Amino acid sequence: MGASKGQVGWGGDVSPELLEACRRGDREAFRALYEAYKDRVYSIAFYFFDADADAAGEVTQQVFLKLMREIVRFRGDAAFSTWLYRIVVNACVDRSRGRRRDAGAEDPVVLDRIPTRASHEESFAQKELAASVQQAIATLPAKLRAAILLRYFDDLSYSDMARALNCSIGTVASRLSRGHRLLAKTLAPIRNVHQAR
Amino acid sequence: MFTRHVDRSLSRYHDGDLPTAQRQRVEAHLTSCGRCRAALEEIEFSAKLVRQLTAVSAPPSVWNGIDAASAGSHRDVGRRFPLRWAAACAVVLVIVSSAYWWTRDSRVGPWEVAQTRDGISRRMTSGEWVDTVDGSEARIIVGALGTVAVAPGTRVRLGEITQSEYRLALAQGTISAEIVAPPRLFIVDTPASTVVDLGCAYTVTVGEDGAGQLRMTSGWAALEFKGRESLVPAGAICRTRPGAGPGTPFFEDAPAALKQAVDDFDEGTRREQALAVIIREARARDTLTLWHLLSRVDKSDRARVYDRIAAFEPPPAGVSRSQLLTLDADALRKWREELAWKW
Repeated sequence: MGASKGQVGWGGDVSPELLEACRRGDREAFRALYEAYKDRVYSIAFYFFDADADAAGEVTQQVFLKLMREIVRFRGDAAFSTWLYRIVVNACVDRSRGRRRDAGAEDPVVLDRIPTRASHEESFAQKELAASVQQAIATLPAKLRAAILLRYFDDLSYSDMARALNCSIGTVASRLSRGHRLLAKTLAPIRNVHQAR
Repeated sequence: MFTRHVDRSLSRYHDGDLPTAQRQRVEAHLTSCGRCRAALEEIEFSAKLVRQLTAVSAPPSVWNGIDAASAGSHRDVGRRFPLRWAAACAVVLVIVSSAYWWTRDSRVGPWEVAQTRDGISRRMTSGEWVDTVDGSEARIIVGALGTVAVAPGTRVRLGEITQSEYRLALAQGTISAEIVAPPRLFIVDTPASTVVDLGCAYTVTVGEDGAGQLRMTSGWAALEFKGRESLVPAGAICRTRPGAGPGTPFFEDAPAALKQAVDDFDEGTRREQALAVIIREARARDTLTLWHLLSRVDKSDRARVYDRIAAFEPPPAGVSRSQLLTLDADALRKWREELAWKW
């Protein structure tokens, strides 16, 4: 997915003209905004919820409907993307609250959930690797998961992440470190295979 | 090797986010510290794998859902009200006060109220009461923000509508609000507290004695009274009492003994015993209750409450025990932000 009508780019932010058109209720402009960000929002939710397409779809809808209603009040004090990601993180966390009670995701990282059937003679297929990483991410506590996805999936800067997550840069760094250390431990079988090859 | 470990700086170092001097310090440390080198390798390994995740395209059904919901909300308004609006037109003609208000002061937006028993919808102005004590029900349209369902046996006064505020006053009965709005745009006054919407859905009940209860179904709301504030997330309840303001919030799924103890504590009944029960029964999620108690217990009890919360989630970096025990507002906020991930 690329920039939409030259008004939104992967690394950039929304043009004032597009935002203004959205504020006026221009549905075409809102559609352009949606097209520019939909895959990023959907992907974050998708990996946040362990590749649950239904959950990702519902969260994406919820995020953009909220955006549609509230964009008139976005004053541009911060980057649009920061504001958007804050909505995304809140939506994911809100939804995961209900799930957590059902699924017990507050439990420590579940090592045996990660596929380890790859052996020395069988290299990991890309798909299998992605599935392992995705499952490992899903076992992280929500706040670490959100930090990892925003930073490494969407390449947000530390200062943007701090604004999106409503915390300090130090807290962002701490969450990323803890998230990585947990992921590395969970994915140790893969690491061992890599090192052995 | 006597220099301090650099674990906390490693993710920023890995991502090239450190200022030069700090980066050089980390590099110097890494040359002589195997532990930190191992930690960095873990970060490198993990980051490399996470970067391999590919973007997933949102299926067309997502936009279709958004399109339908956004168009549907407009259609719903029309579908809900056509006959009622026809009736309302007639009603407005005969309701002299409403007509007078409307022509006199068009700056103030009207409230739209649907009275479900008689099927009549009408525009009402601030100061008017929506009264369902006869057993009827009503629905108040809060501009484009959402709706408020008024249960039978309720009296709600319509307050002012401004650019920055929609305000209702619940004298008695039960209302259920579903609001999608920026924080603090929709406010409900009750005899014991003010409910400040932070983007949410909730039910507020006020009894004949003015005592009440806020029950959150999604999002957050704040209950405020004379500087006392309770923050209530989805799944939690907070009671209010006239003169005392908001009580201590607790989750509906909390252990029964904890919930009873919260009520006892708030009513001042055997507070010492009640606090002991709360501390004993609290789960990680109940740090919601404990966090509020930090600033409500006697100073001599504060350390016990602190210790119980810290056992579930230590304060974040830069926040000290002493800051929290002296109720430093910034420190309390930072800790709450961390704890809220469990709420």
